Amino acid sequence: MQYIAKTPQQSELQTAKFIWIASCCVYTGFEMHLSQRLELFPEYTVTQLLFKDVKNATDLRKNAIAGEISGALINPSVLVDPFQVLVATNKALHLQKIGKMKTRSLYSEIIFNLSPTNNISEAFKNFGISDSDSAVQVVLVHADAEQNNMDDILSKVDGQQISVHHISSLSNIAKIKKLYKVSPQEELCGSLLDAVICRMATKDVL
Amino acid sequence: MAVEKTNNHVLHFLRSAELLKQGAEARVYRGEFLGKPTVVKERFPKLYRHPTLDEKLTHRRTVQEVRSILRCRKAGISVPVVYFVDYTSHCIFLEDIVGSVTVRDYINSAHTSEAKNLEVVARKIGEILAKMHDEDLVHGDLTTSNMLMKRGPGCGEADLLLIDFGLSYISALPEDKGVDLYVLEKAFLSTHPNTEALFETLLKSYSASSKKSQTVIKKLDEVRLRGRKRSMVG
Ligand SMILES: Nc1ncnc2c1ncn2[C@@H]1O[C@H](COP(=O)(O)OP(=O)(O)OP(=O)(O)O)[C@@H](O)[C@H]1O
Ligand SMILES: [Mg+2]
Repeated sequence: MQYIAKTPQQSELQTAKFIWIASCCVYTGFEMHLSQRLELFPEYTVTQLLFKDVKNATDLRKNAIAGEISGALINPSVLVDPFQVLVATNKALHLQKIGKMKTRSLYSEIIFNLSPTNNISEAFKNFGISDSDSAVQVVLVHADAEQNNMDDILSKVDGQQISVHHISSLSNIAKIKKLYKVSPQEELCGSLLDAVICRMATKDVL
Repeated sequence: MAVEKTNNHVLHFLRSAELLKQGAEARVYRGEFLGKPTVVKERFPKLYRHPTLDEKLTHRRTVQEVRSILRCRKAGISVPVVYFVDYTSHCIFLEDIVGSVTVRDYINSAHTSEAKNLEVVARKIGEILAKMHDEDLVHGDLTTSNMLMKRGPGCGEADLLLIDFGLSYISALPEDKGVDLYVLEKAFLSTHPNTEALFETLLKSYSASSKKSQTVIKKLDEVRLRGRKRSMVG
């Protein structure tokens, strides 16, 4: 039992270790949100933010529809990993650049690209946020020259921001498998994320 | 020129990627995409072909490749994940199977002491092809270069993946599947001399795994005979 009990020195050591890790994280840029550059569009940065216990989903949705929020509001229960959002965003920017978007704005295109089907209203229903949602994933895309509107989002969302890396704690695996029609045999040759990404990337030629 | 202009971003990206293979139909690159190791297959325009026809053929191959990859994955057949497709510059961004070797290189570098390993690989090929044909998918270009092994020689159980689906198509006809195997047999035996027994192992495994193998193997025998007759005449 001795090794479980902590001596004062040990706990001091742990505190010191904690501080060390925390400061490291600041230095390496570990934060609640995730900002990434896209190799195909180096002039853009994609930022993902995650919120739980959100109390104003209805207002946020209205704001987004009215164009007062320049960001994509996604229902995090259908997300497996931030990579999924990155794939959708890259495709949206690509289609915008070649003039082949299926929806009206870059942000609606990101939501549409998450869907495994080519039905637009279905995509919004399943991947956008709805009034009863208590969690939301926000995606912002900004060119270097533009101002980052992260502060604006933080002020508008009435909820608790959590790390984007905790996205999987909010995933509804059963729902994801059903939406993307992932078969048990498919999971034998790859992860759920693989299956989801493949559906998203190939839906144009269904 | 139009393609060059609108797809600046994709072609620009490829310029910074490492060229893996320059083929007659496609260039294969390796690079990082969305933070992941990625292989990009670019089907470039063939200047000797009529532009409209070329565009049509190239587009069809890209679409075929993408569709077949999805069909395979749905059926639990190992193929690389598709990350992104650009249908204007005909580029497919695929999961890079890091540390993989083609079955071709694997067989060529194997020593005689590793004959047992080769038999395991041959059986695996038979199994994966049986699964693919049972999904009514015909590969169209079966060679040992179009199969990847995830772990290098001697690292225990190897994972096998199929690639290069540009000539694939859907067919339930035993004849089409038989020809698919015949193409592989020809390529296999010419790339790897004195491997008749190994190929026989592959076929046995195929027969044991596929529900519809009997008619396919019968067709394979017919096609072999036709091939032999043709070479006797020619
Ligand atoms: N996903 C991948 N991961 C790792 N290596 C790959 C991958 N895809 C292809 N390669 C490598 O690149 C080579 C060429 O790829 P592929 O067979 O798809 O192109 P190709 O033969 O030039 O195509 P085509 O026959 O349509 O002209 C493969 O033999 C393999 O060595
Ligand atoms: Mg090939």
